[in-house]
Amino acid sequence: MAKEDKVVGTAEDFPRTSWERVNDKIHVWPYLTRLEFMAAIIITILLTVWSITIDAPLEEPANPSVTPNPSKAPWYFLGLQEMLVYFDPWIAGVVMPVLIIVGLMAIPYIDVNPAGNGYYCFKERRFAILTFLFGFLVLWVLLVIEGTFLRGPGWNFFMPWEKWDPHKIVALTNVNFPYLFGFREYWAQAAFGLFSIALWYATIPAWYIWRRATLVNVGFTRYALKAFLFMTMMGMVAKMFLRIAFNVKYVLVLPWLNI
Amino acid sequence: MASLKERFSFDQMKRNIVDSQVWRSMFRHGYEDTPRNRVLMVVDNLWLHLHPTKIRRHAIRIRFTWCMGGITFLLFLYLTVTGVILMFYYRPVGEYAYLDMKFLEFDAPFGMFMRNMHRWAAHAMVITVWLHMLRVFMTGSYKPPREFNWVIGVLLLTLTLLLSFTGYLLPWDQLSIWAVTVGTNMARATPLMGSEGPFAELMGVTPRFDARSALLGGTIVGPPTLLRFYVLHCIVIPLIASGLMMIHFWRIRKDGGISGPL
Amino acid sequence: MNTRLKSPEIKFPAEYEAEVQSASSFMDRRRFMNYSGWVGILGSLAISLLGFLRFMFPRVLFEPASTFKAGKPSDYAVGTVDTRFALSHRVWIIREERGFYALSAICTHLGCTPKWFANEDKFKCSCHGSGFKRSGFNFEGPAPRALDRFKIVLGEDGEMVVDRGKDFRLERGEWTKPEAYLFI
Repeated sequence: MAKEDKVVGTAEDFPRTSWERVNDKIHVWPYLTRLEFMAAIIITILLTVWSITIDAPLEEPANPSVTPNPSKAPWYFLGLQEMLVYFDPWIAGVVMPVLIIVGLMAIPYIDVNPAGNGYYCFKERRFAILTFLFGFLVLWVLLVIEGTFLRGPGWNFFMPWEKWDPHKIVALTNVNFPYLFGFREYWAQAAFGLFSIALWYATIPAWYIWRRATLVNVGFTRYALKAFLFMTMMGMVAKMFLRIAFNVKYVLVLPWLNI
Repeated sequence: MASLKERFSFDQMKRNIVDSQVWRSMFRHGYEDTPRNRVLMVVDNLWLHLHPTKIRRHAIRIRFTWCMGGITFLLFLYLTVTGVILMFYYRPVGEYAYLDMKFLEFDAPFGMFMRNMHRWAAHAMVITVWLHMLRVFMTGSYKPPREFNWVIGVLLLTLTLLLSFTGYLLPWDQLSIWAVTVGTNMARATPLMGSEGPFAELMGVTPRFDARSALLGGTIVGPPTLLRFYVLHCIVIPLIASGLMMIHFWRIRKDGGISGPL
Repeated sequence: MNTRLKSPEIKFPAEYEAEVQSASSFMDRRRFMNYSGWVGILGSLAISLLGFLRFMFPRVLFEPASTFKAGKPSDYAVGTVDTRFALSHRVWIIREERGFYALSAICTHLGCTPKWFANEDKFKCSCHGSGFKRSGFNFEGPAPRALDRFKIVLGEDGEMVVDRGKDFRLERGEWTKPEAYLFI
């Protein structure tokens, strides 16, 4: 690879010593301002062409008694709307968004790895990047695409070549997770549900502590928060899997709330 | 004595204006490409003085920054301008809102164009703000000393989504009312504060007095909701977002400029 | 502030000893004024916030009346799910052999309006695919509970009156209450 073709942004590209850094500064005017100017012009042209060629949608006047089929949230919320299939509204609509926002805000405080500050790299922060990309690409981008193009009338799943048939019948025989293991009595199944969730949150973080001395490095509170957020994210996937594979409706059924 | 032709030449007239006291009082310097003037261009300009006078070389590489933060801000400015223009015709009243959309489309010259621009810029802003976050994450730019600016950034991301969501209701068509019905019904399921959420009976919240009715101004998505979302969309959230943006930009400088390897 | 005064390195002249002592006590006059000032400021902020919160709930809502007349019992054929009020009042009237009940046409998941599919004998919600039996029981999809039933009584003029303001829920065992079902 020729030197000019080299991907910029890796650590080697940047001057290391403070002396080099001071000397490597350039004037904002004109080097940055001309770029900003170009970017502004390009965006303006794109936006103008887009606005001339495609009209914003406007449907029938609002009518509270006629629900369109399917009714969809704005596209960027379709990941959450997809979650509504697997979780009760108080989880999918309230707890999860709050956890996503709080979890994102917590990232700088739970990721104490000093490497990779200010340049692109993968090897130095594998876990952080893989986790973030999973959340970003799979749980947001993929679910938005799925919700936009593959969810039809009745919020049924349609492949791209299938016709959106409003009378499509999908057999949904929901069972609760404890029932699969034969716990049918009310409080026994509630106890089993609680036990399963506790097991989910406890085992993998505990195993990780045992395998590596993470706790020593990051401290208990930080590790607990990290493990909770990570296992919650993965728990969403696990619940989706349980629903799709075994028609599980709830893992935990209590008199006050179901999960 | 200069000839008549020279005295009324373009160059001479330009010189007369640029050298005048009025012009000098507004614009202190020209475009001479000297190191001193390069600095003055930035520090003497209200808009450009957001920038430092010099930055590190890698900070202008598109492949490093993707230019996403700046584009997001540009789109926000576009949304402010087109939004204000739309406000000249739009009335957030149940009887009129939909009619005004039709009026904008058919009777106001360039009305549809302004509406298109507002809507598509809003969609684009949601995309660019996510990409900006992705870029900042991938370069590890949230690490010390920039932790708190990342927190502000997440708040701005949330506000962007809320702005888009409140604006979604304003056309007052089937698309908007049902998206908002579905969206706000989640507020009804808020634990403790929503009438359908867990522990609602413990708190004594009812459909008439809960988190959702505070948002809607009633128990259904109706005209009071339209007005409430309008105020949130045009005044409350933009003001909060502008304040946070000021902190966001200011902190970039205070935290040592754009990130790079230590 | 007061801990600094008490630090052993600083020696105060004897005539100030009393003042230093009082300054480091738990509650002197200056500290009391300080605290009451903050209580006043934060308290008035909190009260304004509560006032604003109350401001957001108006005393009167201009919304459709909760009761409506649903016609005479003889207008309905036995064994049908009647959708004539589904659009205007979001209520289905179900006529059985023994009598009537009024079922809410608001999905318990996120408030969309389900549709009645007579061939499949079920209500199906278009938003997230919840399905309900004719009785209102949630048998498929994400709906967390059964549809509400509304108060239905026979008026003095022989017409039935449905009150959407009074709902009866299955999980509270309210479907068996007298006004939840109109025996004919």
